[in-house]
Amino acid sequence: MALLEVKNLKKSFEATQVLKDISFSMDKGDVVSIIGSSGSGKTTLLRCLNFLEQPDQGTISVNGELLFGGGESKKVSETEIRRKRLHFGLVFQSFNLFPQYTALQNVCLAPSLAAKEEGDFRSKEAEIRKNALTLLDQMGLSDRVNNYPHQLSGGQCQRVAIARAMAMHPDILCFDEPTSALDPELTGEVLKVIRSLANRHTTMIIVTHEMAFARDVADYVVFMDQGRILEQGRPEDVIDNPKEERTRQFLAGYR
Amino acid sequence: MFITVTQSLLEGFLTTVKLFTLTLVFALPLGLVISFGSMNPLRIVRIPIRFLIWVIRGTPLLLQLLVIYYGPGIIIHQNVWGSGDSGRFFAALVAFVLNYSCYFSEIYRGGIQSIPVGQYEAGQVLGLTRTDIFFRIVLLQVIKRIVPPMSNEIITLVKDTSLARVIAVYEIIWSGQSFIKSAGIIWPLFYTGAFYLVFSGLLTVLFHAIEKKLDYFVV
Repeated sequence: MALLEVKNLKKSFEATQVLKDISFSMDKGDVVSIIGSSGSGKTTLLRCLNFLEQPDQGTISVNGELLFGGGESKKVSETEIRRKRLHFGLVFQSFNLFPQYTALQNVCLAPSLAAKEEGDFRSKEAEIRKNALTLLDQMGLSDRVNNYPHQLSGGQCQRVAIARAMAMHPDILCFDEPTSALDPELTGEVLKVIRSLANRHTTMIIVTHEMAFARDVADYVVFMDQGRILEQGRPEDVIDNPKEERTRQFLAGYR
Repeated sequence: MFITVTQSLLEGFLTTVKLFTLTLVFALPLGLVISFGSMNPLRIVRIPIRFLIWVIRGTPLLLQLLVIYYGPGIIIHQNVWGSGDSGRFFAALVAFVLNYSCYFSEIYRGGIQSIPVGQYEAGQVLGLTRTDIFFRIVLLQVIKRIVPPMSNEIITLVKDTSLARVIAVYEIIWSGQSFIKSAGIIWPLFYTGAFYLVFSGLLTVLFHAIEKKLDYFVV
């Protein structure tokens, strides 16, 4: 059974149909890259998976559990949505770190609050901290844990954001153009840590404009155009030998 | 004479400080409630609140004091404020709290709306509750942003308390003015300025310290 199964997802903003019948699936440990021009619906798709937008139609299932059924009443309780969205983690283009917290505090905040809600913060506090330090270390930030976001470079901020998302142990980690706000040098360091996550078989969906990276790191590439998936498959097929004229056209811009 | 005047002014000043402090105690939280009302997606909540803010900000505080103190007596023929000094003080306090909470609410609203939506979304995707997002993520950033406009407004409040004498609340200006009639001297009235200056000076130092304390992060 696939880890993630998205079927016939549709989403409109007023008159504009942003997602027109999106279906795809992925297995545990897969890295899926979503490519396509701006406005093709890539970001909206990620936002739907993370419950930041509510799709109009379609289904989203993780591990066979139907998270979103489409057409159901809009009254899903906050607690319910919070539980469902934790299957996913999201790394934003603009990092969105919390400025008043250090790198370590940014990573610890959500797990600590979750533990407090469960009533076992005291017993878990040390473990949460240890896990956060391990994650920051994996991101190459062990000497930056007590720095505030404004004291970090964009690349370092994004790596903190990745650690922060991973601290909630999502089944699927989503990246929304994680390097689009970074210069080439900083882009390199962020791509390096994403690559290391891929090597450790972290399940990821990466929306990116870094074609070489997508080709290299992804097990599966999805090309989106005008709200549809126009072509999907192994990177050597989609990126190197695209079948669709539109895909060729899009990729020509990166050669 | 100087000692007598100073003592008398201090008495008036005590009322000034009391009015100032109690206004803050009630208006700071009430302003937050009003700001939430003015941002409420439901029109039935939002429109009346915005109307209230418009009326309060659109009319002089002096007039509001008079209407709030004398209004109930004229309309329902009943003195709702109780008698004597304490009744007048209470009416003045209600007028000040209402007036200042509306001004504060607009400062809060500006502060809250200036926080990027990404901060809320980052909290959401990490599974935080709405309450935690507000209190753990947004609030401190809002506070940092609103300290300068708030300190402005609060220092204005120090001086606005003098308007309460229009309904015979014996604050410091009243004390100073009374020497014109009783002793034929005007300098005690001018002397009140020193009290205001010292008080607002202390507040300025306090707000500066708060700004410094929040300097450790950048929003």
